[in-house]
Formats: sequence, structure tokens, C-alpha cells
Amino acid sequence: MVQPEEQEKRPKFSINDHLDILIEILKRLDGPSLGVAACVCRLWCALIRNDDSLWEHICFRHVSVPPPTSVRPVVAALGGYKRLYMGCVRPMLSRLGDSERVRKRVWTQHEVVELSLSLFCVDSYERLGGSGRLGGDASASSLKFLCKPVNV
Amino acid sequence: MKRNHEDTLRVGGVSSGYGVGGSRNSGGADLKGECSSMSSGKGKMWVEEPEAGGMDELLGALGYKVRSSDMADVAQKLEQLEMVMGTAQEDGISHLACDTVHYDPTDLYGWVQSMLTELNNSPNDPTELLGSNQIDGPLLAPAESSSIPNIDFENQSQIFSDDDLRAIPGMVACPQTDPDSENSQKRLRSSPIGSDSIPALPPSPSASNVSESTRPVVLVDSQEAGVRLVHTLMACAEAVQQNNLKLADTLVKHVGMLASSQAGAMRKVATYFAQALARRIYGIYPQETLDSSFSDMLHMHFYESSPYLKFAHFTANQAILEAFSGVNRVHVIDFGLKQGLQWPALIQALALRPGGPPIFRLTGIGPPQPDNSDALQQVGWKLAQLAETIGVQFEFRGYVCTSLADLDPTHLETRPGEAVAVNSVFELHRMLARPGAIEKVLNTIKVIKPQIVTIVEQEANHNGPVFLDRFTEALHYYSSLFDSLEGSAAGLSSPSQDLIMSELYLGRQICNVVACEERDRVERHEALAQWKTRMCSAGFDPVHLGSNAFKQASMLLALFAGGDGYRVEESNGCLMLGWHTRPLIATSAWKIPATE
Repeated sequence: MVQPEEQEKRPKFSINDHLDILIEILKRLDGPSLGVAACVCRLWCALIRNDDSLWEHICFRHVSVPPPTSVRPVVAALGGYKRLYMGCVRPMLSRLGDSERVRKRVWTQHEVVELSLSLFCVDSYERLGGSGRLGGDASASSLKFLCKPVNV
Repeated sequence: MKRNHEDTLRVGGVSSGYGVGGSRNSGGADLKGECSSMSSGKGKMWVEEPEAGGMDELLGALGYKVRSSDMADVAQKLEQLEMVMGTAQEDGISHLACDTVHYDPTDLYGWVQSMLTELNNSPNDPTELLGSNQIDGPLLAPAESSSIPNIDFENQSQIFSDDDLRAIPGMVACPQTDPDSENSQKRLRSSPIGSDSIPALPPSPSASNVSESTRPVVLVDSQEAGVRLVHTLMACAEAVQQNNLKLADTLVKHVGMLASSQAGAMRKVATYFAQALARRIYGIYPQETLDSSFSDMLHMHFYESSPYLKFAHFTANQAILEAFSGVNRVHVIDFGLKQGLQWPALIQALALRPGGPPIFRLTGIGPPQPDNSDALQQVGWKLAQLAETIGVQFEFRGYVCTSLADLDPTHLETRPGEAVAVNSVFELHRMLARPGAIEKVLNTIKVIKPQIVTIVEQEANHNGPVFLDRFTEALHYYSSLFDSLEGSAAGLSSPSQDLIMSELYLGRQICNVVACEERDRVERHEALAQWKTRMCSAGFDPVHLGSNAFKQASMLLALFAGGDGYRVEESNGCLMLGWHTRPLIATSAWKIPATE
């Protein structure tokens, strides 16, 4: 996905000098490709790790209506889009893709993100700890059911 | 082999006294010695009858020395032996399970007959042998052998508790087909386990008149054992209902033995029910423990391992969200706060609703803590932290009371201009334990004047007046529930802690339904139709849960492993979550008509 080298007439072009273009390109990647891209070099790795807007784009990629502006601060407060995607949206999408019943009805990405937001919120709540009850026992396992192996 | 009665009297230790392997020793000819040790060991539950000294004449003719009074025990041991032989897997005797056909040892005539027909290779053979009904030989044995001494030793018939096995519906060898067998088969129709219908047996033959069509016996297999297990459970419950505790005790031990031959959900359900029955029989009623940290932990694990609670929370939240649209000050009263797991999702949804979040007030109701710690306040504090992070104005109030009927609406401090929602997840059915309590609670709700009341309850009737009906309903209900838990854990090699804890959580409910009575029996589940009647006659109008709730719920279910088994159904505006064809929990929403 790196812009191919221009001909020798022009000065050498390196994408790493133009971070804004790089980010534009990375925004269009999907989750696994982003993961691969993060292995390219330290700069890319740092970018992908720290720039939450990349992950925001992935979450809302196929959503036709752009999300309301109020969503961003909420998600940021709960742990960020990267956490949301990796912890909820991605496992949900893969689980829903596997399930037989999904083939009969199609859920929009929007609905998936909505539900994952709710689950994400419950998860963040559990991680809050503070009260002796939850803290010791479960290490925020409300999303564990998403990680369990699917009996396909 | 002496049974340890101390073991069986220990609470919950029903299945512990039985090593199935131990019965292997009973195959020998020395039945007399074993039987006498057994009969002396049974002193506690049985009235000690004087030893008649009379050996059974018919068996004596065959060379066995068995007391007539010990026949039931003999039969039981034979049965155990049969079970072991049918399921033996070890080297050296595994051929017993695979390669042998088990015949009824008391029916010599029939056995000889079948041997002869086999040898003669008559064309009727296959149909005769295979078309015969699958009858449990061992269970025939005790009944038959018991009937023989009854005919010959009439004055001894009271020593021999023939009614032990006569009560088992559907397997009776008594000539009359009792109506029970019909009923039990009907009850079993929807049972999750294999439904080999056991036909009513023909009249017990003496040696002379055997009808060929009913022999021979086929191998015992676990599916059949499963049906026997249910039969025995039902028979035990019936015995308890008739207050025949002696019989019930025998049967409950039998259940323990049968359950060990099963695998998976059926075994666990049977074990829990057997334990509960044992408690009821021995009168060891479990105390209503107030240790809510333990029950909260179980609740938590149940929340995580299955979709039921999540479904309840999400559907209720959706109804509350819709009722609160356009209102700037909202107040939710939660009848059972526990860990407050329902509310983060609502707070987040309120934060993201068009128009911005309202001011959100939550009143959480909970039981008093034994160690006087303020659990409600801790939960409230966590929720407040979350709300602050998200940017929703939040206020929390905890309200401690032992029972919802003690709730005083004036203490709840409803403010003007505020929309109120009342939420009850699996709390209202407890009110049915005390007369008048549920009416009081519904009146309290009406005084509060909420915009919406959300109720989630189990979809089952465990509150009928007859114990046996309750037992049957509960057996079916919890079998489905355990099946679903098993289904979602299917991909894992070893049962997770969540699964075990969830089962324990449900096991306590089972214990309450079966073993407790009157005030202690708080798990008085009632079906949606009954709640609807109750709410309507109290003056509430139903509110339809929208399609959003339905869609969200079905998406949620698709996420769970084993998700194909879960079903969301809509019934007149209420949503029900079920496992395959059986609905298990139901969410409904209510409001007070505007004209009032």
C-alpha cells in the first residue's frame, strides 16, 4: 500500500515524510491489514497504536450515516476506539458472520456497533473495581463470552 | 457390601454412597449373607420387621437361599449388576456391554422359548425378537419375584413392601394398568431426553402363562436409563406428595444411582433434584442465607456465562429508553440492584441519545447485609464514576429493605417534573410467598406513578397448589435451562468456572422450589399469562416492546456459542427468550393508563 517510488526525475519520495497522507491511507485499511501494517516499522507502529481515529474509521466503515459527535468523547472515556474494536466489534463481527442465523437476517454495521458499545460499557464498568466485591474475583470477564471458542 | 447410611443422611450426599462397581460382588451365589447385612443396615428408615426365617421357596428350588423379606434388595442388586454390565468399559468385561443380550433371569419359560425359536430359525423370528417391546428386564424382576411370594405367602405380604416398585409409573408389573402410567407418559412428551415410551406391562406371568410377544429383553442403554431416571424422579415426587416417605427415600437413592450413569446436563439436573427431594424427605430445610456476597457472585457468573440476564437487561433498558425519550429528568427505581450490571448500558444509551443526556437518578433497592456493610452504596459509587466519565449527570440513592412489600413510596422521594421507571428483574415472584404482599407492591408502584414498569420473570409455573405438578414443571424447565448452559459450553474441553457457578446458582433455585414450603419458598415463578392477568386486574396497561428491542436481543443471542439454540419470540408485545422450543424468560412492560 506504500506509494510506489516515482521515476528518477523527481526527488525520492518517502511516505514517512508525509504523515497526513500516510494516515489517510491507513484509514482505509481493515483491521487485520492494520495489524500487518503495524509491523512495518516503528513509526507506523506508533501511529497505529496511538491514533484512535484510525480505529474509529474501521468501526464506522460501513455505516452509512456518520455517527453523532457525542459518540467520540464517550468512547474515548470508556477506553478508546481501538479497545472497542479489538474487544467488541471485531469478535462480534466474526461471531455473527459464523452464525447460521445471520445468513437469514442481516444486521447493519450500525446495529453491531451500537450493541458493542453497550457491551463495552458494561465491561468498562466492571473494570472500574473500587468495590471489593467485583475486583478480586472477575477480571472484567463480561466480554469473555465473545472470546470463547465457537463450536462451529 | 454394607451401605453407609451416615453418608446418605448427610445433606446433599444422595449419590455418594453408591459405588456402582461395588455391586459386582453381588453376582455370586452367596446372596443370603449379603442380604442380611443389608437388611440390618437399613434399620434407620425401615421398620425393623422380625425375621420371618422363611426362605423363598421358588428360588430355593433353584439353589439360591434368599429370604422373602430381602427380595426387594436382591432385585435392586440385580438391577445394579445389570446396569454395570450394560455400561462396563473395562478390559475383560467390556464384552458384557457390547456383545451380550441380557435376558430376564426370572422368566425361564420365555428364555427357553426364545432359544428354541432361534434354533429353529422360523420366519417369525426377527419380528418376534426385534419387534418386542423394549422392556426393562431387571425392573420386571423385582415386581415379578415380589408377586410370587404375595401369592404364596399372603400373611407376609405386609413385610414385603411391594408398593416400592408398584408406584413407579409405567413399569408396574401389577395386572392393572394404573392411570399414572398414562399421565407420566404424557408428562414426558416434552422431555428433552429420548422418549422411548414405555408401554404398560402385561400382567405378570407366572411360569405357566407367558405371552411370547413380550420377550425377550434388550440391552440396557443410557437413553433408556435416562427415561428410567425421569420415571424414578417422578415416582419419588409422587411418593413425597402422598407422604410415603419410606418409599420416597428408596426411590431417591435409586435416582442417585441412575444419575451416575448419565452424562452432561441430565445428570446434573437429576442430581440437583434428587438432593432437593432428599432435603424435603429428611426435613433438612435449607436456611434462607442472607449472605448476599455469595449469591451475588453466583449471579455474576450466571450473567457472564449465559444470555438470560443480558437479554433481560437489554430488553428492559430498551423499553425504559423509549419511555424516557424527550424527558430531561429521569428516575429509575430498581427493585433488585445487586451489582448494578443493568445500568451502565442505559447510562451510555442515554448519553448518546439525540438531544443529549438527561439528569439521571437511580434508586437501588437491596436486602440488608449481614455484616452491615453498605453494598448498595458501593455499587452506586461505581455507577457514579462511570456516569461522570461518560458525561451524564447522575445521582444515586440506596434503599435497604428485607422485602419489597415493606417499601414505603413516600420514602422514595419522587420529584415533580421527573419521569419515573420501575424495573424488576426476577424480583416480583418472591412476593407471592406471603399473602397480600404482591397486591401491596403493585399498589406502591401505582402510587409512584411511573411512566413505565418493566418486569422480567421466568416463564414457568412453579407456583401451583399441587407439589407433584410443581415438581414436574420445574423438572422440565430446569432441564431446558441446563441444556442451554451445556450447549454454550460445548466447545470447551473442561467445564469453566462460570458454568459450574451458574449451575450452582440454578441449583439453589431448584432446592427452593422443591424442598421449601410456605414463606421459605420464594421461588414462586409464574408464567407470563398469569402475570399479565395480575397486572391487568391491578389496573396496568401493557406497553409493546419495539422492534429495536427484538433486533438487539436476537443479535445478542447470535453472539453466544450455541447461539443457534436460543430463540427470541415476540408474544403480544412481550419478548421471550427460549431454548429451542421452550420459552424460559419473558420481558414485559406496563404503564398506568393516562385517564387515571
